Amino acid sequence: MNKEDIFNKIVAHTCDVIPTLKDHQFSFQDSLKNLGANSIDRTDIVMMTLESLSVRIPLIELAKAENIGALAGLIYERM
Amino acid sequence: MSECRHNDIVVSGIGITSAIGQGVKQFTEALMQGRSNFRVMERIGRQVNVSSSEKPALVSKFLGAEIQNLTIPDRIPESLLRTASFSSQVGLATLCEAWADAGLHEIDPSRIGLVVGGSNFQQRDIVLLQAKYNHNIEFLRPSYGMSFLDSDICGLCTSSFPIAGFAHTVGGASASGQVAILQAAQAVQTGQVDACIAMGVLMDISFWECQAFQSLGAMGSANYANEPARACRPFDQDHDGFIFGESCGVVVIENAKSANIREKKPYAKLLGWATAMDGNRNPNPSFTGETRALKAALKHANIDASCLDYINPHGTGSVIGDETELNAIRECGLNHAFINTTKSIVGHGLTAAGAVEVIATLIQMKEKRLHPSINLDNPIDDNFNWVKQYPVEHQIKNSLNISLGFGGINTALCLQSCI
Repeated sequence: MNKEDIFNKIVAHTCDVIPTLKDHQFSFQDSLKNLGANSIDRTDIVMMTLESLSVRIPLIELAKAENIGALAGLIYERM
Repeated sequence: MSECRHNDIVVSGIGITSAIGQGVKQFTEALMQGRSNFRVMERIGRQVNVSSSEKPALVSKFLGAEIQNLTIPDRIPESLLRTASFSSQVGLATLCEAWADAGLHEIDPSRIGLVVGGSNFQQRDIVLLQAKYNHNIEFLRPSYGMSFLDSDICGLCTSSFPIAGFAHTVGGASASGQVAILQAAQAVQTGQVDACIAMGVLMDISFWECQAFQSLGAMGSANYANEPARACRPFDQDHDGFIFGESCGVVVIENAKSANIREKKPYAKLLGWATAMDGNRNPNPSFTGETRALKAALKHANIDASCLDYINPHGTGSVIGDETELNAIRECGLNHAFINTTKSIVGHGLTAAGAVEVIATLIQMKEKRLHPSINLDNPIDDNFNWVKQYPVEHQIKNSLNISLGFGGINTALCLQSCI
């Protein structure tokens, strides 16, 4: 499992939560907030990602990620 | 046809989703044909399925009627539905129909209210979710923190439809749907809002509630396990409890002045209503409590019992419940009125029942026809004006809807047709 695999998981779950993004070309610099995810959406996306990776990380440690790439990096470091 | 004065309270829109049809058109057709949909329930989480090497397998066969092929209107965004329970999804779909029927887009949102009748109506969704995360609770969706609340449906409805007056839930057990209508009527009558939506929400029970209802003797037993279509028998000598039926009913209550300005022809006006408590926490019915509610509703409506020509009873199929209710109806001098059993076709919607049955009454007013009662082969008391296995052509003028709930809740509502 590399960082790009984690990125793809985040993207998949983002599209689960916000189906209108399914045709969006996601990049590492994309911010979930700027893509239209509210705070509840963002926490659900992160939790769904952690569940599908079977990784237990307190959400507070992932809160500082400013974009999807950074989020993938933080999760990768803790796997 | 009854003319509506400006200070009258009227019904200006309806919406219905049930196991016998989604939407007023489908529902009406099935109702008038007496076409039920009872079977061994199949929705995930509705049956007990326990087996271990130490105990024999325990597999239940609870009977009920379940909604097939729910259609969610396009105006409800998919993103909203993701974390919405089944009850909420059905509620949104049903509200959509009632909203359009009443033309509520014409009213200032701050003058529209919403009362959702029902509590603990998301049980099955919650049971399934908790079972799924029983051993890995760390992955529980954060959104559960808002979606488990009954009031989540208020958030969902008011974010999908411009309702800005007020919105809350109200719990009255199996009388919830009618309690919501009475609360909506009071909100309009006091001028708090001009239109108030009353929803009898779908009670999405799990196998836990089914098991308890059956053990309590409230839900029908296994007597008809192999003949589900014959199981639901309100007021019949072979009745043995209620049979669950998924449903959701939405009734729009409005002041006649607002409806008249909009040139919206109402279904009926609310002549009078009442609630009476038994002072009893238990599920057993009370002749005294029911009689008080019926008489108080007639008094509030300022109408003599002889002027009522149709009754839609609570009529669940409970042995003691059916008998007590007929005694109360007789005591109030109402056994001349036509009477049929909506639950025999639709099932018992629990929190939804009261609203669904008001809608059934309004439909019958509009169709000028009374729907049949199925499985009423041998009434426990034949000295009532039963509509049995065939529909009856009749224009309802004044009706009485009875809706009762565990915990000694008795409600009654008199309607006068505006058709």
